[in-house]
Amino acid sequence: MSHHLFLLSPSDTPLYSLTHHSTKPVPSVTSPLASNLPTWSTSAFAGTLTALSGASSATQHTSGGAVRVGGGQDRHVIQMIANAGLDVIEDVMRRENTMYLKSVDKFNEWTVSAFITPGNMKFVLLHEAKNDEGIRQFFMEVWEVYVKTMLNPFQTAHTAIRSSVFDNRVRASARKYL
Amino acid sequence: MAYAQPHPRLSVVSNSSQSSVDHLSPTTTSTRFSLPSVPSTHTAVSTKPGLNRPNIYDRNLNKTRGSEVSGAAFAFLFSEVVQYTQKRVSGINDLERQLNTLGYRIGTRVLELMVWRAEGSSKAPKREIKLLSVLMMIHTQVWRAVWGKAADAIERSVENPDEYMIIDNDPPIERHISVPRDMSQLSCSSFTAGIVEAVLDGLAFPARVTAHNTPNAQFPNRTTILIKLEPSVMEREELLK
Repeated sequence: MSHHLFLLSPSDTPLYSLTHHSTKPVPSVTSPLASNLPTWSTSAFAGTLTALSGASSATQHTSGGAVRVGGGQDRHVIQMIANAGLDVIEDVMRRENTMYLKSVDKFNEWTVSAFITPGNMKFVLLHEAKNDEGIRQFFMEVWEVYVKTMLNPFQTAHTAIRSSVFDNRVRASARKYL
Repeated sequence: MAYAQPHPRLSVVSNSSQSSVDHLSPTTTSTRFSLPSVPSTHTAVSTKPGLNRPNIYDRNLNKTRGSEVSGAAFAFLFSEVVQYTQKRVSGINDLERQLNTLGYRIGTRVLELMVWRAEGSSKAPKREIKLLSVLMMIHTQVWRAVWGKAADAIERSVENPDEYMIIDNDPPIERHISVPRDMSQLSCSSFTAGIVEAVLDGLAFPARVTAHNTPNAQFPNRTTILIKLEPSVMEREELLK
């Protein structure tokens, strides 16, 4: 199960991105279609069928490196989904006064969650499983390190974040909560 | 003593003071200085060997929450800022615009840090999305975070519905500034205007913010920060009604 994080500046320039592969077990029931499928553990088509239904439980079959059918696992597809989510995010952030906007958009197996800082910085996270509380805590930690980054006088809202310490901190938070 | 030589990051001022001390008393060692700031720098460095560059990510953001900056030090720094800027501009408008730009850089950070301190431990952190609450937040919270006191008044312009005014009767930034007569148009509170502009911009209320001297008999330093919201903001406010 993987997560994709993007930090976007107020002018939607990507400042930082992270792909995190979680080691946590995937919850077995994520799609209503998948839960209705019988467990064809012996069938040769089992892997393909579960993958087509959009269920994350297909990972047990694809862990050997097989390409998932219908899944947007390509880098450019991921970026497209994240950018498409921005429209929804900008719409929602006018109405909602919370910084954490959970599950604003969905595309195939990907759910888009976002966090808007007061300075209009957007953290966009693509995830597969529902994990509201974990994602909220993850965003809070990313926000804290982001504020620390921003306090650096050499950092502006439009310069990419290249600090290795920042990277390590975000990775550590991702391991902890995602 | 770990550092026989003065630390390379000491400013020129303290280096020269050290050499003058050396000159006066030949027995002076590096531990004896007339300026208190110099030994304190040494102890700070020597307690953490190999950590000359503190990592900004290890600092607690709430550590300096209640601490105050010396007014004299700030007045000195700001006077240098104004003089530095004045040498590099042509005319008062340009000077005010430059001060505004400098304030803007402060404002983006003030906004992010101030809200983090208020909402960082909250379960569901909130952003302000209503114009009036944003203006009230600037009037009280931003002013308190930056100047240690709330602004004195906030008004809406009678003629232009897109203009708001924040009034400070005695802005700390101007307490030690006396503007020459031939530059009477200048308001050094343009710096504050820049901070306000950054806060509004960050919260998606783009505006043009300027500072104007509006003295009265009681308060000779009274300053008005004029906020002129962009048409897009007014259109959005109309739609939300």
